This record gives sequence, C-alpha cells and structure tokens, in this order.
Amino acid sequence: MARPLWSGSLSFGLVNVPVVLYSSVRDRGVHFSQLHESDGSPIQTRRVCALEEREVPWNEIVKGYEMEDGSWILLSDEDLAAAAPRKSHTIDIEAFVQEREIDPIYLDRPYLLVPENESAARAYALLGEAMGNSGRVALGRFVMRAKEHLVSIRPRGELLTLTTMRFHDEVRSSADVAAEIDAAAVPGREQIENAIAMIAELEVPFEPAGYRDEHRAHLQRLIKRKQKGQKISVASAPPKPKPKPEATPTAPDLMGALEQSLARIRGESTEAGKKKAKKTRATPPAGRPSRSSAKRSS
Amino acid sequence: MPRSLWNGTIAFGLVRVPVKLHTATESKSISFRERHLSDGAAIEHRRVCVAEDREVPYSEIVKGFEVSSGSYVMLTKEEIAAAEGPEARVIEVEHFVDGQEIDPAYYERAYYLSPGQLGDDAYRTLHSALKTSGKVGIGRFLFHGKAHLAAMRALEEVIVLHTMRFADEFVDPRELEIAIADKQPSKLEIDAARLLIDQLVSSFEPDAYENTYRAAVLGVIEQKARGEKIEVPESQQQTGEGELLSALKASLEESHVRKRRRPAGGTSRSGGKAPRSSGGTPRSSGSDQPSSKAAIHARRRTRGEG
Repeated sequence: MARPLWSGSLSFGLVNVPVVLYSSVRDRGVHFSQLHESDGSPIQTRRVCALEEREVPWNEIVKGYEMEDGSWILLSDEDLAAAAPRKSHTIDIEAFVQEREIDPIYLDRPYLLVPENESAARAYALLGEAMGNSGRVALGRFVMRAKEHLVSIRPRGELLTLTTMRFHDEVRSSADVAAEIDAAAVPGREQIENAIAMIAELEVPFEPAGYRDEHRAHLQRLIKRKQKGQKISVASAPPKPKPKPEATPTAPDLMGALEQSLARIRGESTEAGKKKAKKTRATPPAGRPSRSSAKRSS
Repeated sequence: MPRSLWNGTIAFGLVRVPVKLHTATESKSISFRERHLSDGAAIEHRRVCVAEDREVPYSEIVKGFEVSSGSYVMLTKEEIAAAEGPEARVIEVEHFVDGQEIDPAYYERAYYLSPGQLGDDAYRTLHSALKTSGKVGIGRFLFHGKAHLAAMRALEEVIVLHTMRFADEFVDPRELEIAIADKQPSKLEIDAARLLIDQLVSSFEPDAYENTYRAAVLGVIEQKARGEKIEVPESQQQTGEGELLSALKASLEESHVRKRRRPAGGTSRSGGKAPRSSGGTPRSSGSDQPSSKAAIHARRRTRGEG
C-alpha cells in the first residue's frame, strides 16, 4: 500500500480541506542492483563524512549550500519550512483556468489528492462537484520536499488529481531550435497534403493500454532464462520488432515515400475495413489498443 | 546552438525524418549538497562490497537482478545489450490521435526536435502536417536504455516530443484508503462554491506564477549566514463540516473585494513575513534574486542544470 508523499491542506477561499498526496504512478521498470563481479555480493552505498572517515547515519546529514566564498551554510528541514511556512502546509488555489489552455509542455508529475479524514471528505467532494465537467482546472502553488511546485487540480470521477507543473522560466524557448531549421527548405503544397492525408489514415482514438513496454518484457524474459541457468548469447537475443534501414547520405525522395505510404495504407484499410466506408480509419496494426479507461487510472 | 541529447529518425509510413532531440525544460530549483551536521564536512558516497567490507572501484561492479530476497541473477553488459537488441534509433509513429483525448497524467518529459542531416524538408513537411491537422503522433523508442512511449506534435515552429507513461504505470486508486463523506455537499454549498470558482476564473498565463520559494530560501540562507535565528510560524486549521457554507460565503465576500486588485498569481495570503523581510518582494520580477552573494551564486548554479 502506497504511502502519502505529503500532507497538508487544500485551501479554496476560506475553506481548508486536509488532504494527503499520493503518487499516481509507480515505477514499473526492471531495476538492477549493483553487484561485485568477483564474489557476486551486493554493493552497498555508504555515506561517509569526508573529514572523520566514518559512516554517518541519515539524521546527521543536512542540506548544504555553498556560498560564493566557498563557505557552507547548513540548512535543516525546519529552516527550509521557515522560508515558506504557509506554502509548506497549504496548497492555495489561486485561479481556475480552462484545461486546454495549459500546454502539455508545462506538465510534470501526476498525483492523487485524497481527503485526510472523513470530516474532510465533504469539503473535498464539494470542490470536485463544483468544478464538475466545466473543463476547468484549479491552479495553485505549494512546497514539497524543499521545492515549490505550480500545480493544476482536476476532478476525475470521485477523486481530485493533481499535476505538478513547470514554472514558466523552466520551459526553454523553442527559438534556438527553430533557428536550426533551414528556412529555405519550404515543402511543396502537395507534399504537405499527402502528409496530412497519411495522418488522417493513421488516426485512431487514444487507447493507452494498447502500448506496452516491450523492452521491459524482454529484460524480464532474459532474467528468467538466466535464472534457469541458460546461457544468453548475443545472437539468440530476440530481435527488435521492426528493424529499420539506416539513414541514407543523400536526401531521400520524400514525395515518393509519401505517395507509396499512402497507397499502401489505403490498400490495407480497404481490404480490412470495407464497412467503414466513409471516414477510412486506418486499421491499427497488430496489438491494437484495447478499450480501457485511461481516465479511471489517472 | 543547442546541444542535442540524441540523434535518430522518425519513421512514419515509408517516410524517414532525421531528427535531433533537445531538452525543452530545465530545473531552476536551488540545489543542495549533503553535509555532515556536526562538522559541516562533505558526505561522500562510497560503494562497498558487503562481503569483503571494502570499497570497490566502478570497474568491478556489474548489474544484478534480485529474484528473491538476497538472491541475485548477475547480468553482463553484453547480455543486457542483447535483450535490448540492436539500437534502432528510430521513433516509429504507430498512430495519430487527437491531443484532447490524452489525459495530462500521461505526459512525462518534453523535448524539442530539430531536423537531422538532410532532414529539413521532411521535418518541415511533418511539422506543417501536424500543425494543420492539429494531431499528435504516437510512437515508441528506446532512449537512455529505456523504452518510451512518445507523443509528437507541432508547437510554434518546431516539433515537440513528449515521453509518455505507459498505462500500467498508473496506480489503481482502489488500492488507496479513501475517506468517504457521510453526507454529500448540499446544493446551496455547491452553488456557493461555483460562484467562488467564477470569481477566480482567469486565462492561463504561465508567467503570472513565479517561483517565490527560491528567493525565500536564499533569504533564509542569508539570515543564517549572518548568524540569525530562523523561526517557524504556526499553521492553520481545517474548516469544520458545519462551517463549510459560512466559510464559502465569507470567501465570496473577500474575493469580491480582492478581485480587482490582485489577479491570479498573487501572493497575498501566502508566505507570512519570513521570506519578504529578507528575500525581497517575491512578486516583482527582478527581486526574486536579491543582490547578494548567495543570489549571484544561485544564478550561476541553476543555469548549469538540466
């Protein structure tokens, strides 16, 4: 069972709702430990005081900030809380905005916001109910783990979800990257239209459960085989799903590639889905995303 | 010219778009180091072999997977590479979707793409097509030894790539203990809350929200550098169930008064007095970095991150 990462209150006008915050996601990656090659025993990371040459427990470790003159200022958790006493305990809702106005580039990590106790549950439900399906999200700021976060809060079913966001000065301008694009390489009208037609052919509803982490599965299979004492040879490794030809040194025939792709997709989709006469939806490749509710889990 | 993190190809039908990946975000948080409380000395992380109780160099360390408590399967770099297969360096676009259908919780990290070698024409074609259609390309690729789901869309003059979370990474909320209200909010309360929301509706202007904490922490650092004592003020209490409606009404009155004076992003109710006295007025843009040693140093340091 997950443990809360933060507890405090959600403040909406003069209404304060005690809440706790859980991560919405858990890391499902395959995690390796470090082992000593010669004896296979685990490697432990020890925190050692450089001056005393001895291992120090967690409660003797504090945050240090280096001043320009090379001296260090040590800060305790209390010192940091004092820097923003209200924000360390309260998420103040400052505004409500339309969710679609927020560019996804600002989004960081998703969390679930949960009422801390039964008496908080009604005020909590009230906020969700009042926001309803207006398409609006609440914006606020708070401090968690010595960092201030801009957050957006939205109702999802009976729950409120919270997403931490990047501050405006943490999002880089795209101008430097745009400057790298050759302004003279203006694509032809027909070329763009073919690309748009391809997008239309390949459009499907977003069904996230249909995309699996195959890399993770490969690693898990490898570990199983190794555990059974089987030898892993590089040659017998499972091939990538779709190996690709390498990039050619000359500019490829883009128009030709677009036309061929379109012909191929259209050929496939008329064979497979004659019923969908009107808006020809491309038949999604094998491993078609199954309908599952993304909204529920987020 | 921005440094690229990865070079590869977007594959979309038979079309190949050579691209370079650049980070789109950078953290501006103050970074700290671990120090020893009693003597202020640096804390070093040492890798120690548990069996031999001695520090071991990196070259003697391999990866292992813990199959059961204390029992490991050792894997060489070659074996892990074998599982990964040849590094394709291809982002295979599998579908296009309407971006409105993507729950924001799926977005992970954002990157800007620029055209790779001889890729300008293809890049601009894809960019125009994404921009005109307003659609988002969904694909998968290997990056930093990890498979990522990726979403690609046009933003201004460039293509943005978002790494995305896989659906099975989400926690099922049913695993959590969630308190349920024994009494649902009344219509009167909901109406009052909606009125309050209406008072606070604005458009999203990212630069209306400054990170004021950075300045406040630098203020505390300076206080400490001067040898001052840091005090923590008390916090506030929750709204009782019976007080919900009166709190809403009082909020509405307050918000009528405040609204014209301070748009979204105000700090009127946050912070208390501690940060301002030493950290400068957090709102005004130039002053979240007080002209001091600590601030100059912070600027230098945060720039290097990301």
